[in-house]
Amino acid sequence: MTVHFEDRPDVGGKLFRLDWLLPVLIGVLGLIGVLAILSATNGIWERGAIQHAVRFGAAFIGMIIVAMIDIRFWYAVAYPAFLAALVLLLGVEFFGINVNGSVRWLDLGFMRVQPSELIKPAVVLALARYYHDLPSWRVSDPFGLIGAMLIIGIPMALVLRQPDLGTSLLIGATGIALIFLAGVSWRIITLGSILALVSLPFIWQFGLRDYQRSRVLTFLDPARDPAGASYHITQSKIALGSGGLSGKGYLQGTQRQGGYVPENRTDFISTVIGEEFGFIGSIGLLAVYIAVIAACLRLSLQCKAVFSRMLILGLSITFTLYIFINLGMVMGLLPVVGVPLPLVSYGGTVVLVVMGSFGLMLSAHLHTSSLLPRSD
Amino acid sequence: MAKSRKSRQAVEAKSDAQMTRRTAILALGGIGGFGIIGGRLYQLQIAESENYLALSEENRFNYQTVLPSRGIIRDRHGEPLASNTLDYRIDLVSEQIDDLDLTLKQLGDIINLSEGEIKRIRRDVKRRPDFVPVTVKDHVDWDQFAALNMRVHALPGIVPTAGEGRTYPRDAVFSHITGYVGKANDRDIERDDDPLLLQPAFRIGKVGVEQAMDVPLRGQGGRLKVEVNARGRVVREWPDPSDAATPGQDVWMTLDAPLQRFTAEQFGDDSGGIAVVDVMTGELRTLLSMPTYDANLFVSGLTQADMDALNNDERRPQYNKVLSGGYAPASTYKMAVMLAALESGLVDPDRRIFCGGKVKLGNRDFHCWRSKTGHGAMNMRDSLKQSCDTYYYEISQVIGIQAIADMARRLGLGQSYGLNIGGERDGIVPDPGWKRDRLGSGWRMGDTLNASIGQGFVLATPLQLAVMTARLANGSQAVSPSLYAGFDRDSFASLNIDPDHLRLVQDSMWSVCEEPGGTAFRPNGLGIAGLDMAGKTGTSQVRGISRAERATGVLRNDELPWKYRDHSLFVGYAPYDRPRFAVGCVVEHGGSGAGRAATIVRSVLGEALRRDGLGARTDAGAERTAL
Repeated sequence: MTVHFEDRPDVGGKLFRLDWLLPVLIGVLGLIGVLAILSATNGIWERGAIQHAVRFGAAFIGMIIVAMIDIRFWYAVAYPAFLAALVLLLGVEFFGINVNGSVRWLDLGFMRVQPSELIKPAVVLALARYYHDLPSWRVSDPFGLIGAMLIIGIPMALVLRQPDLGTSLLIGATGIALIFLAGVSWRIITLGSILALVSLPFIWQFGLRDYQRSRVLTFLDPARDPAGASYHITQSKIALGSGGLSGKGYLQGTQRQGGYVPENRTDFISTVIGEEFGFIGSIGLLAVYIAVIAACLRLSLQCKAVFSRMLILGLSITFTLYIFINLGMVMGLLPVVGVPLPLVSYGGTVVLVVMGSFGLMLSAHLHTSSLLPRSD
Repeated sequence: MAKSRKSRQAVEAKSDAQMTRRTAILALGGIGGFGIIGGRLYQLQIAESENYLALSEENRFNYQTVLPSRGIIRDRHGEPLASNTLDYRIDLVSEQIDDLDLTLKQLGDIINLSEGEIKRIRRDVKRRPDFVPVTVKDHVDWDQFAALNMRVHALPGIVPTAGEGRTYPRDAVFSHITGYVGKANDRDIERDDDPLLLQPAFRIGKVGVEQAMDVPLRGQGGRLKVEVNARGRVVREWPDPSDAATPGQDVWMTLDAPLQRFTAEQFGDDSGGIAVVDVMTGELRTLLSMPTYDANLFVSGLTQADMDALNNDERRPQYNKVLSGGYAPASTYKMAVMLAALESGLVDPDRRIFCGGKVKLGNRDFHCWRSKTGHGAMNMRDSLKQSCDTYYYEISQVIGIQAIADMARRLGLGQSYGLNIGGERDGIVPDPGWKRDRLGSGWRMGDTLNASIGQGFVLATPLQLAVMTARLANGSQAVSPSLYAGFDRDSFASLNIDPDHLRLVQDSMWSVCEEPGGTAFRPNGLGIAGLDMAGKTGTSQVRGISRAERATGVLRNDELPWKYRDHSLFVGYAPYDRPRFAVGCVVEHGGSGAGRAATIVRSVLGEALRRDGLGARTDAGAERTAL
């Protein structure tokens, strides 16, 4: 297939036509992240806040560049990108380096990448293209279903082996949401739900590792391990709860100063915001996130092509699930799985991947008039 | 299968509409999800906020364990045998340190840090969480501690602290008694659920009195309320007097520290054990094993070099010979044989038995120590005075081994006394039952002959020999030793031995020391005018002498290597007419009993009496029934 690009990319015009609401909201989240990391590191810029700001800035520029590139290019590279991510994931299987007991990283010499982060947008890209290419009457037939299942299932299995239960479930949930959006029949949805419920005990028995089972059990019964996993949750709830309505004030959080909440620079960053800015701050943060997601939905509704819509919806579903899982975990509603709070938590690959995803969404929206091939 | 453009558009429009509808369904789900998150935030931060605020205050305050002062171990006069000194130590908190190399280098300029110490510090820093203090150095001397305190503001993360450390007298003569303290190991912690054991600076008794009396010595920990900030670091203390630690109780020993020191000086470089016991009360005035070791070394942790030096010393400094050392009592056992013979009524003490230097039993010769000439005709008193082996070979065959063994046990041999210090050995008083149980073989007459002169299977500790002597001297009570002062103990059981028989034994023991011809006779005796002593020598063979050697007499005992020489034994008491102290003494490889051991005991008894006002008893003990 050949892809035609504009002979003279009209960068200035595109920048003007770009939907700027989303980048602005993202910028606000980045600012919140930098300030929260600064507080989590006792006001010392060098312990992460600067790095986060620099990476965020670079990723922001990257996002705009991704947005400028024609959606037809992204359509063209959807499958190759998916395959490349799969290869990297397989590489982890053989050449992965062990960090903190999990094998999730690849050392490329100049940098370490975490293929399980890359695979998330890659699965969405592949599924979006898959459903774009698939005639709508085939969505519910075995052919259509099996293809989608493979695109979702293979990376899920590889990620689960690392082991990374959180990411694996995230991929699965996003994938299922996309199948649902593609219009699979309610009959199959019902059947699938029943099948999932029936297979739960087997997954519990054979699919999970001991520590993963113990995390879930600890979540259901915190008294099992008061000094271990439930310590995180207890301290995190104390930090949030003691913030009250308006919080203890910026850089004033005693829980944070006491270092009682572990990982408060990364996965538990929202405890810092909750303690120092209270309920108002927490709801405020939530509101910015809701605004980001609403902006994404708006972009998707303004798109014509299935590829574009599914790309935007899939990526924003991943983003939303990130937020749910992270906040649910911090508040003791879900078991502790290592999922960062996107754009606010300290972390390199995640910022790059999330910002790249927003770049793709913006590109899809910006190039909505670019005609994508459609098979019959 | 091309469809018409129209129908395709219709299908697409239908599918678009469906996707929009389903997007709305997912959006509804999202709204629900955010609703749950918001509700939970309301619950945590508004509804239950006060509760969590209280919990967060609790987090800010913490209780630190305050270690109790360990009780002091004292001698009978109150002199400390184990006490506490201010101990300066330096800790390091790695989370407050940016450059460990630099800090260690700066620290090394102020206090001495060896390569090994630096290596251990680095290892500890790596192994522990950043906020847990790591010991840089224990037992820092005051000069270095002061120098460090002057510059500590420039060394963030370095924490000098003053605590208490255990210390033992430098002359080390109480090490086997006091034992020492050390860090609790995993087994200790499993056995004992006192949370104090988890404190890195806490020490528990490892051996000796420190271990036996560990619980009363330990005391109870207190606590200190502290305000902690980042990573549990203390920012303020909130002391409350009712939370103070309860110091451990002092433990008083019956020992007489100056006498113990004097005794150690008499031993010099020799190896062995000696016990001085009060004939009336059983209180131990001296309980000494030589050579000793420095218990202080164990408190801070022994270096490999120290350990090797201790382990490779052929005189075995760590071995508590006075309580645990089993020695053939040799001729000091003869009093038991003699008393058994008298009590049996089978032997007339005046009847003379001829010693020609050896006794034939079957085709075996049993030699007297004076094997060349023999002692000639001996009555019972002379046989003890000159320690004639032949006499005992003969009478033991008459009275039998069981009578001997029974008497030995009545005199306190073959048993431990429950001193509550650890390491006490039972020794061995052999009889046919014992041999059957332990060796699975029958008793032979030759065994009886060997036992009759305290050789063969018989084993006794120096403490048991002292107790035997105290019972012989006391004459009426089965004196039992004690080491802890202030113990109300029941009066001793009666010895239940005919006083006339005991008097003959005592008189014979007097003749050993005070009559010319006695094996331990010295013209000026104790060296204290008007006071006589009584005793018995013993020479215990370590290595059998071959027939050839005996024939040629080429090798004198002191020509053999140290470890093959005979043990020198002596038991004695004084004053003879009003017994006050009894002593049992073994000098390992010290040669004949008349030589080394008797000399030591003579001067120790003299010193003990001098320290006691020459035996001028004024307390209740003087009321003892006259013999």
